[in-house]
Amino acid sequence: MVATADDATITLYTSEPQEKIDAVVAAFNEEHPEITVEVFRAGTGDLTARIESERTNGAVQADVLLAADAATFEGYKGEDLLAPYTPTEADAINPDVLDPDGFYVGTRIIPTVIAYNTTMVDEPPTSWQDLTDPQYAGKITMPNPDVSGAAAYNAAVWTSTPALGDQWLQDLAANEPVIAESNGPVAQAVASGTQPVGVVVDYLVRDLAAAGSPIAVSYPSEGVPFVAQPAGIFADSDEPEASATFIDFLVGKTGQELAVEQSYLPVRGDVGTPEGAPAMDDLAVLNPPLEEVSATKDAAVARFDELFS
Amino acid sequence: MSSSADTLVRGPAGGRAPHGLDTGRGRPDGVLGLRLALWLVCAGVVLLPLAVIVALGLSADRLQLLLQGDVLEAGRNSLVSALVSAAGAVAVGTALALLVERTDLRGRGALRLLALSPLLVPPFVGAIAWIGLAGPASTVNRAWTEATGGPLWVVYGGDGVVFLLVVHGFPVAYLVVAAALRRIPSDLEQAARTSGAGPWRTVRDVTLPLLRPAALSAFTLVAISNLADFGIPSIVGLPEGYVTLSTLVYRYLQSGTVDAPLEVVATIGMVLLALAVLGVLLDVVAGRSRWELEASATASAPVSLGRARALASTVTWVLVAGVTLLPLWALATQALLPAPGVPLTWDNLTLDSLTRALTAPTTVTGLQNSLWLSLLAGVVCAAVGLAIATLVTRTRSRDNGALRAVAMLPQAIPGLVIAVGWLVLAPRIGLFNTPWLILAAYVTAFVALVVQTVSAPLRATPLTAEEAARVAGASRLRAFVDVSARMALPAATTGGVLVVLTAVRELTISALLLSPGSQTLGVAIFNLQQAGAYNAASALSLLVTIVGLAGARLAARQAA
Repeated sequence: MVATADDATITLYTSEPQEKIDAVVAAFNEEHPEITVEVFRAGTGDLTARIESERTNGAVQADVLLAADAATFEGYKGEDLLAPYTPTEADAINPDVLDPDGFYVGTRIIPTVIAYNTTMVDEPPTSWQDLTDPQYAGKITMPNPDVSGAAAYNAAVWTSTPALGDQWLQDLAANEPVIAESNGPVAQAVASGTQPVGVVVDYLVRDLAAAGSPIAVSYPSEGVPFVAQPAGIFADSDEPEASATFIDFLVGKTGQELAVEQSYLPVRGDVGTPEGAPAMDDLAVLNPPLEEVSATKDAAVARFDELFS
Repeated sequence: MSSSADTLVRGPAGGRAPHGLDTGRGRPDGVLGLRLALWLVCAGVVLLPLAVIVALGLSADRLQLLLQGDVLEAGRNSLVSALVSAAGAVAVGTALALLVERTDLRGRGALRLLALSPLLVPPFVGAIAWIGLAGPASTVNRAWTEATGGPLWVVYGGDGVVFLLVVHGFPVAYLVVAAALRRIPSDLEQAARTSGAGPWRTVRDVTLPLLRPAALSAFTLVAISNLADFGIPSIVGLPEGYVTLSTLVYRYLQSGTVDAPLEVVATIGMVLLALAVLGVLLDVVAGRSRWELEASATASAPVSLGRARALASTVTWVLVAGVTLLPLWALATQALLPAPGVPLTWDNLTLDSLTRALTAPTTVTGLQNSLWLSLLAGVVCAAVGLAIATLVTRTRSRDNGALRAVAMLPQAIPGLVIAVGWLVLAPRIGLFNTPWLILAAYVTAFVALVVQTVSAPLRATPLTAEEAARVAGASRLRAFVDVSARMALPAATTGGVLVVLTAVRELTISALLLSPGSQTLGVAIFNLQQAGAYNAASALSLLVTIVGLAGARLAARQAA
């Protein structure tokens, strides 16, 4: 027992898969048994709705938010909903995921990649450009940017990447991809062969492959867009110190080793990467400035809808 | 105290004219008290959350949003898919009810049970199963493409949405129509037969016209609940860009790219509310032209299908088994395989998914919560629904139509919108982060199921029994409780079971209203699916289905 630590209970709002967040809390409690973490898990949209309803009625009921992307946190930051906090080990963390103003920090690198069914595809596509090849007509599936925040972010990044841009979107649309609701159904469709090629976040593919599905991941050569599942503390929190301890754990060495074990790419360089993933130094990323993405996102999603429906 | 004295004074020989239950209107008595109490309940669990939605929807002057192209298109899709699928469901449900309840078709007991199974498969799970069967890369479509160059039929798109809505809607139509069918005295049919009418003519000229109120009732019920369905259009509609109002609401709430999502959701909720008002008004108008039949004591003898029996049995079995067992089969194979895409061989079968689903700490909590929440919701809805439906069909009062309409309204509103209403309301009434909030939302959403199930058979039953009770000196309340309500009890039980079966796997309401650390079964299944544990999700769905089949058996027996 840590003599100086006070017992505390914090409430966490997160979009992490239930099994994964359960494991994170269990590992956290091994180091900090004095802090109880109450988890409310829901999709990003449900969390947003809940947070909005709570603030219109007074104060946000959660202490920590672990979800979505930097843009969501920028929004909350702009509305003064977040408390400033920079993790103790900020120096060890990938500067790409640290908010320069110190209000939130990314906890995993979640890139969107190409997944393919290994029994149905012999030569996997190795670049975004490959997906426009007519041989993939009717065989591709991808998430709906109207529903998935990550997919909306991707659409903005693709359109603002010179090598891809609007022409690439048009060529891809010519292959008539099936627009699934979100990443989960995309991975499932690829694994079961409904659509042998998919555009999807990488950890889902590794999880399925580990369970025995005939699915593998290909990191496109042009680079991959990624979200960082940031964590931040709400300004209304009664337990800012316990909350900070939890975030320190998330981005600390133990927390990041667990993230790698859970198929995620980490936000620090000293914990390796999951099996089958490139080393962090070899990973080509598409990471345009956040302001640029925020500025073009609505137009990109509208263009996507126009081309793909 | 004083009321018991009153009873003593007025006594059994009160000497009021025996004009059924409509006497004494306006005079304060037990039935009037009940009426007031029911209005209070409806105000609390229906009008209040709906008022919040309307207030929220109007607050930000977003009405111009409703004229946007995508909202109009989604509205049209919602309306068309709900109406067409309801017509299909009633046609299928009525045909099946006639075959199963009135003929000597083979294996009727098993068919009855089988036909109810789509009620138990969560629509989003059923939709996923159907994609495996009729998706672009399903075995059938792949083979067909190789042979002919194009797929046979792909479930994606508007036709797939309508088809699956029919599949999930016809059991409700069957239940409502079958219950009414049992109340149609066999004397009339027998009279027709003895006068020389053939079995088909008897069905066409005698049975079907008598079933019209029940069929209409089933049509409204299925149409307005299909208006609110989310799982089916989201999974088979969206891939082809077929958007309905409920998937549009979800998109607005989920995308995080819309400012003030709660207000936008409420604004669209208002449109659905308006459509619901329309549907309920039609139903009330239709309910006015009612007729009454003397219930017959003799059970109707099954009509012999003669030489057509073998053929009719085979065709019915193949169709019913096809739409019910195939998805269950898909679910079962997924539950027994470790991951999607793993080929189905004996060596690959495993109980791992089942174990994983059952041992997840959240499953146990989810199971417990869903069980007690849905049982309580079933009991509350059955009691309130029974009282409302009996009151509005067995007594005469100006506000009957209004009371019934209010109870029916929430049926057409997606669970998501109802949840938003309660979410905004919760902190003000001290229910925030309590399970009571979910229970309240369940009652809002599902009480219509009971009202509809109960009123259909009651409408066609004469008031003679109540009149007899009144002549014999029973008070209005006494006649109401002992005769009307008792008569409605079997139908209310069926309705209550329907509520339990729907609530136990409900997803969109509890997803928004759960308190941290809590869980329901629907959310547990959804979470497993989100986590990539599709097979564990299938395993859990399969268990829900199997347990639900037992419940459906109860419903079928109650209806029998």
